[in-house]
Amino acid sequence: MAKKVLVVDDDENTVKFLTTALKENGYETLSALNGKDGLEKIRSEHPDLVVLDVMMPKKTGFVLFKQLRRDDEFKDLPVIMLTGVAEVLEGLDTQTEDDDVKPFDALREAMRKSIREMRDEGLIKPNMFIDKPIDPELVVARVKELIGS
Amino acid sequence: MFKRINIFWKLIVTFMVIIVITMMTMDIATNLVPPGISAVLAGVIIAVAFAFGSAWFFTTYFVKKPVEKLANGMNRLAEKEFEFRLDERGTDEFSSLASSFNDMADMLTSSLTELDKTRDYLHGILESSADIIITVTPSGNIRTFNTGSENALGYRRRDVIGKPVTKLFLNPQDREVAIAKLRFTDNVVNFKTKFLTKSGETRNVLLTLSRLRNSTGEIIGTIGISKDITEELRLQKQWMQSERFVAIGQVFTGIQHSMKNMLNACTGGAYMVRTGLKKDDRKMLEEGWQIVQEGITRMTDMSMNMLKYVKEWKPRFDQVDLNKTLSGIDQVIGRSAKERGIRFSLKDVPELPHISCDAQMIHSAVMDIVSNALDACFWKEYGEVEIPEVTMSAYTDNDRQEAIIEIRDNGCGMTEDIIAHIFTPFFSTKSKAGTGLGLSITSRMIDVHGGKIDVESEPDKGTVFRIVLPIDENSRSKEIIDGKKGFGSRR
Repeated sequence: MAKKVLVVDDDENTVKFLTTALKENGYETLSALNGKDGLEKIRSEHPDLVVLDVMMPKKTGFVLFKQLRRDDEFKDLPVIMLTGVAEVLEGLDTQTEDDDVKPFDALREAMRKSIREMRDEGLIKPNMFIDKPIDPELVVARVKELIGS
Repeated sequence: MFKRINIFWKLIVTFMVIIVITMMTMDIATNLVPPGISAVLAGVIIAVAFAFGSAWFFTTYFVKKPVEKLANGMNRLAEKEFEFRLDERGTDEFSSLASSFNDMADMLTSSLTELDKTRDYLHGILESSADIIITVTPSGNIRTFNTGSENALGYRRRDVIGKPVTKLFLNPQDREVAIAKLRFTDNVVNFKTKFLTKSGETRNVLLTLSRLRNSTGEIIGTIGISKDITEELRLQKQWMQSERFVAIGQVFTGIQHSMKNMLNACTGGAYMVRTGLKKDDRKMLEEGWQIVQEGITRMTDMSMNMLKYVKEWKPRFDQVDLNKTLSGIDQVIGRSAKERGIRFSLKDVPELPHISCDAQMIHSAVMDIVSNALDACFWKEYGEVEIPEVTMSAYTDNDRQEAIIEIRDNGCGMTEDIIAHIFTPFFSTKSKAGTGLGLSITSRMIDVHGGKIDVESEPDKGTVFRIVLPIDENSRSKEIIDGKKGFGSRR
């Protein structure tokens, strides 16, 4: 039986090309256009892996991710996160809270803070983030690494 | 005892003693003189001699010595021996003179001490000031030169006192200019000029030049107090440079973020085109190409918006009925809001005065803020009870002569950090749609009307945007009317 992958992203184009690429590689795909619908689909469809966008309406990727990790049923569900700002991960360890290297970038700073908190809770795994522009073939390769084909 | 008696009585007593002694002397003399010499003559001679002796003794002891002491005291005071005092024992006139002398010496001493203190105080101010304080004679030569001046300019006092002050200026004409200004006023404040240090360095200073007058009002020269602002200017320049870097960094980060989202469509679309070609799947190829084209369209839009942002904004002022503008927007937006499940309403707007503004710009500005409000509602995860809602209203503040258009939503709201950046070009919290230029352009449009945009927001509670426009045309500056308000100025 084909493995099931859920793509949650508010950009229909991204959903389109990611599901196409996954289907091309033999996966069954599901999709949702916001975090709230994404959670509902996870509960009802039990996918094998979730590709999750970070910046989304209704429920951001981080919020949904944390909800999953705290839920006994889904705490081990593999997740790949798509971010437009993966470089916020750089220097996560060297930068302190009050370090204002990029004082103007409130958004990145907020994201860095969220990621740091998640890491402190032990939620972050290596290679979990994929930066934009998203290469569909890279996503497929990651999915294969995590759940096989 | 004797000293306590008034000179008059001393005189009387002495006189009487002289008479008695003379009489006694005469009596004795009459008995003692050898026969042949007139006893009376001898008595008279002895008595006169005695009287002279007594008078000499009297004047020496009671008049000459005290006068000498007084004169000596005066001399010593004159020689600045201020602690010298006279013996003022006794009750005679000399004693009271001595006492007056001592009082006078006391007063002199205390006035001098006071004067010393004042002088030291003023000197202290002059010396402890880090500013360059120089006084100059009417002929233009340096009279005083404080330590602040020595430190800032590298000259020693002795090198410059008596020399022309113009030699301190990088351009000696500067002083002539400042002095010329002094003709019309007593002070020239914060005159920007440059001094030359001994080692040939240039110091930027703010010079405040004042006329020095004596107590009768006569001009006795000038005093110049200069603040060395070289370091300040350097820091300011450095700060401006770093501000510029931050601003450029902000813009670059923003552009890169927007481009990433656009490239995302191109990369993903290209994958589909490639796969479609490989598999000869025309549908996939077309879908992929569609996505690539959307990416291209958005890049084109962004480049157009960038041009729009930097262009010179020149509003075409008309008498505009804001009610009409808002109901127009209500009609356009109402339906699409409903489709997105958002309640959109225009509150009953009171009779508003017609406002002189560019109708097209105000329409775009309101539309932009309304569409942001709708997005904010779309992004929020509402509970069971709350309904996504956006309301528009307009009113006037007659005291301030302002017309206000208010757009209120109960959407996802913003943190203070986000609010601080919403007018920054390319700052966007929307991952897909925004170019990050919408509010920057909107704020410029309001700016060229002499208005401003106020924002209040709380995360998860909602946001209020207020476009504030001046009602009174005269309150607008000429630059705004000419559309020349500088690029980058906001509010």
